[in-house]
Amino acid sequence: MDQLIQENKLSKEEIFETLNQFITEVIGEEFVEEMDITPASSFTKDLEMDSIEIVAFSEKVKNHFGPNIDFTGWLSNMDLDEIIRLKLEDIINYIRECQ
Amino acid sequence: MPVIDLPNIRLHVQELNPGGRETIIMVHGMFSNLAVYYFNIAPMLAKHFRVVLFDMKGHGMSGKVKTGYDLTSMTNDLHDLMDALGIEKAHLAGYSYGGLVALKMAARFPERVGKLAIIEGPDPSEQETLAIIDTYSKEFLIHYIENFADTTRLLAGKRQLEKNHRMYEFLFNETSIRSDMEAEKAFFNDPSVAAIPHETLLIYGEDSNCVPSGRTLASRIPNAKLVLAPGDHNVPVQQPEVIGKELEKFLKPGHRRLLEKHPGARRPRPTEID
Repeated sequence: MDQLIQENKLSKEEIFETLNQFITEVIGEEFVEEMDITPASSFTKDLEMDSIEIVAFSEKVKNHFGPNIDFTGWLSNMDLDEIIRLKLEDIINYIRECQ
Repeated sequence: MPVIDLPNIRLHVQELNPGGRETIIMVHGMFSNLAVYYFNIAPMLAKHFRVVLFDMKGHGMSGKVKTGYDLTSMTNDLHDLMDALGIEKAHLAGYSYGGLVALKMAARFPERVGKLAIIEGPDPSEQETLAIIDTYSKEFLIHYIENFADTTRLLAGKRQLEKNHRMYEFLFNETSIRSDMEAEKAFFNDPSVAAIPHETLLIYGEDSNCVPSGRTLASRIPNAKLVLAPGDHNVPVQQPEVIGKELEKFLKPGHRRLLEKHPGARRPRPTEID
């Protein structure tokens, strides 16, 4: 019974569901329906999010997961190529590390 | 989404390090939005300052309006924004047309501005200015087509293309943006520009068509220093680290003292060129 031993860490699946919801709010339900969002989806290539949409997404992440998660600071250490390659699972892992 | 209702417009605002002692407000350029600073340059400055970013009206996630894209209206908005946020005085940095907004702000409300940083501010009297902006927007769209619109991804790629296309269509065809910008042609010759008293940093891309504009400003603003960075008009996107470091060096307290101690450093000059 792993869950009993673990503290209140959110599971990867729970974080994914939350992020999926944020993406839907940012880019609109009608577009999300056409996509298959998975943890392997990349922000720019697969989800085609532009920078201002990533700003809106980051803000939702910060507001939801709290001040321990310096999402903008984390992103600011990446160069453009890394941000372009960034996948949903990278963010899930980052949030898990911060918890 | 943090929005602030001002008398004339609703603006999308993002703040980093809200507890910072001094504030820097950063103004983006035409057809862009605050994201140009958000991921790299703003976090670097947020180590020392409260950083305020906002989307200009008609841009990003701010309200859409049909008129008021001239420098006087834009600086009225900025003045209202400072009041709304309780900021008495702030350093200003502006990129491209946002650089002209920052200059106008320093000219109109000198007491509200600390230091002034202008990145790639174009001389509006140059016929090429609008052409540069047009080219920039085309390149922007082509970038999207090349990178994101391969055949398997046509649908979502189409979303970004359409979103950008809608923005240009709106700004070019439904607002006064073009005539408002054209009406600013004589701005660099305005005596108020030559009278800007602030310590001013001018950053231009060494391969940019706007370098002559930087030289013009350097010759007119008494306390200005011109720095060339590797890149062209898109230098904040091409070299965010370089731009961030230049701004950090320029704005950090003590910079001025250092300048004055150093015998070879540039001193405020009398106006030597008319």
